[in-house]
Amino acid sequence: MNRTFSKLALWAFLALLVALFLGYFITRVLPDYLPAGRAVPPRLGDLVFYACAAATVAGAAGVAFSRNIVWSCIGLLIALLGTAALYVFLSADFLAVAQLLVYIGGVLVLILFAVMLTNRIGEVNVSNQSLGLGGGLAVFAAVAPLLMLVAVLVPWPVRPPGPMAPTTARIGDEFLSTWLLPFEVASVVLLATLVGAVVMARKELKAD
Amino acid sequence: MDPKNLQVLVDVNLKSVAWFYPELWLIFGSMGVFILDLVWRKNRGRVRLLAGATLIVLACSGAALAMQPADAVSLFNGMIATDSFANFWKWLFLAAAALTVVISSGSQEFAPERIGEFFALLLAITLGMFLMASATNLLMIYMAIELVSMVSYVLVGYRRADRKAHEAALKYVIYGGVASGVMLFGMSYLYGLLGTANVTEFAVKLAALSQGFAGAAPGAAAATKLALVLATVFVSAGIGYKVAAVPWHMWCPDVYEGAPTPFTAFLSVGPKAAGFALAIRFFFGAFAGKMGATGLADSVAGIPWPAVVGVISAVTMTLGNLVAVVQTNLKRLLAYSSIAHAGYMLMGLAAVSATGMQSVMIYSAIYLVMNLGAFLVVILVAQSTGSESIFEYRGLARRHPVAAVAFAIFLFSLTGLPPFAGFMGKMYLFYALFERIGIPGGGWYATLALIGALNTAVSLYYYARIIRAMFLDPPYEKAAPVEASPGGQLLLGAFSAFILVFGVWWNPIVNWSARSLQIFRG
Amino acid sequence: MTISANWYLLLAAVLFCFGLVGVVSRRNILVVFMCVELMLNAANLTFLTFARQQGTMNGHAIAFFVIAVAAAEAAVGLAIVIAVFRTRGTLWMDEVSTLKN
Repeated sequence: MNRTFSKLALWAFLALLVALFLGYFITRVLPDYLPAGRAVPPRLGDLVFYACAAATVAGAAGVAFSRNIVWSCIGLLIALLGTAALYVFLSADFLAVAQLLVYIGGVLVLILFAVMLTNRIGEVNVSNQSLGLGGGLAVFAAVAPLLMLVAVLVPWPVRPPGPMAPTTARIGDEFLSTWLLPFEVASVVLLATLVGAVVMARKELKAD
Repeated sequence: MDPKNLQVLVDVNLKSVAWFYPELWLIFGSMGVFILDLVWRKNRGRVRLLAGATLIVLACSGAALAMQPADAVSLFNGMIATDSFANFWKWLFLAAAALTVVISSGSQEFAPERIGEFFALLLAITLGMFLMASATNLLMIYMAIELVSMVSYVLVGYRRADRKAHEAALKYVIYGGVASGVMLFGMSYLYGLLGTANVTEFAVKLAALSQGFAGAAPGAAAATKLALVLATVFVSAGIGYKVAAVPWHMWCPDVYEGAPTPFTAFLSVGPKAAGFALAIRFFFGAFAGKMGATGLADSVAGIPWPAVVGVISAVTMTLGNLVAVVQTNLKRLLAYSSIAHAGYMLMGLAAVSATGMQSVMIYSAIYLVMNLGAFLVVILVAQSTGSESIFEYRGLARRHPVAAVAFAIFLFSLTGLPPFAGFMGKMYLFYALFERIGIPGGGWYATLALIGALNTAVSLYYYARIIRAMFLDPPYEKAAPVEASPGGQLLLGAFSAFILVFGVWWNPIVNWSARSLQIFRG
Repeated sequence: MTISANWYLLLAAVLFCFGLVGVVSRRNILVVFMCVELMLNAANLTFLTFARQQGTMNGHAIAFFVIAVAAAEAAVGLAIVIAVFRTRGTLWMDEVSTLKN
């Protein structure tokens, strides 16, 4: 009974989301494309953007709501790939590649390893206070409308984006000038955490 | 980028190194201790040797700190700033780290073959806290917090094959990850709204932004303000997590219980103080106007953050104290007591004045000594009896008078009773609130002060329960004798002397904090 | 026309909220980790959007560091997960051996 109810609530909620999405699309985006009643086909690039955005949202929903952990992983993969594609749209080619290499090549593989290792031991549930789906929906209902309002209504500074240019050289300059200290601190962070991770995960040292 | 501009930026970086020697000592010292740990792998006296090496690194860092030029400057193109405010906290962090090294080298909770990595990682945390106290850039704030947090996750789960320790580490890492994610999202909005990641430029940009409200459409103005408030709340989630303020305190009791006790002691005084240093720099530097001759300031752009901090403060201390009343495990009790103390210190932050700032600094310094002392007694008793239960403290006055008397001094000081240093610290916190009550719209400060006073009364109840167990209850017949090494007793005596001396002669510490009020504001 | 910033921000907000919901409602530790990664991604998307709006590289640099730190955090978190399961695993092995007896 309880499960059916939560499932129903979930579907109703997702339907509401889709409705919101469509509503925004029709009222705020479509009019730009339909000046004076004449249908102008949207450009291909825009369509690709919407496809990537939809894939990202779907992947994120898969991570957050899927019961099967493998599906969650695949959802994360899709969401990360979608975001990487969006980075390209934002003319952040270097970041897109970094996302592919570090997140998908590193973090996701790490998580998959953990899934496989722990699956062999047993269920992955650890005592962890969780508010359940109801609590999750309550949090969503509290935060999401505010954030969406902010995203849509605030008059963000507008600057016509320049032509897409490779950013790698400029980022390199930034790293060794303005952002030198974070660059060095990042190496300390990586060193300390990697030693820490080894300390946590290694077998007992033999007392010699 | 134009090579000439690049050269300017690089020159700034090179010049900044002159103010960066304390941090450099910590970085290279941490690596050196890693290496020494390998070199002295089979040495019998390795614990002493490694502790000595770590203390030498900390001393070198302190010497570099004492010798560095005493001006307030921005370093590394606005990433961090050095000023007397940051230096005050850096001394506290060095003291906390050094005392933790001393305490843990005498503790049996660390296996000798694993203590080298503990010391090296402790130095890395100290570096993170240094950066937290001096960060003036959103990214630096994030990275400093992450450095402290991520090393803390590991050290919390440092006890081998201990289920409690590992679950505590797991809980810590999950809450920490969520808190830092929320904070980062808030930072991204701040960056977008204000167009800069440099905290010292925030006040000016905020004022400009709120001027822009007048001309904008009403919906847009309201949405912008909402965005600002949301971003501030999100960022304060990250900070609140570090100081263990309600509602981001959930990790605190479990982590304090599961971590090795010397590191629990460190967590309760080091990263917490760093969180306050960061909060003061962030809120006073970015969201408050310049303090006038009266020492009072107001929040910029009408963001009501002092009231929000006040509410958090009241809830934090009330919850901490009420839950502490029913605890029987001393580590958990001290965890809730540390939540309550975070609430007291937030009162000083809510006052938005020079006195408030100063009172937080004074209280952090005193809290460092009294809480480390209290944890030291817990460590000594647990080493003899193998338990942290309050029942092991029955008749402690007869079993080990020195520990009992010292613990009583620490507990009375934590309560804030008169002849002890804790009273002076608390008095300043309340004074900062009273200064505000007369100001128009400052009536709620009186309520906050009243809640603080009531909480002090509640805390007396549970601290007195321990004191009663130690002095009035007879010991169990089979109670294990409590033994303390001469070094431990010496440390207890030194902590007690500090609290007794500064309870009546508080000028040095007040003057020192008054000299350290200078914050770099761009 | 190019896609306006509002779209990217809306998308980032949705990603962030999904991450938050997952963190609050899921009991599986690994899923919670994944949701934290979602939240960090949302923040990165916002940073890059604003970087485009402001025409500077600052947002790019910040996003890069966030990716690096997130990778380190994942490493530590998963090491802790493995450590937890090692202690629990041995516990379960005890049960298995008692059953055999």
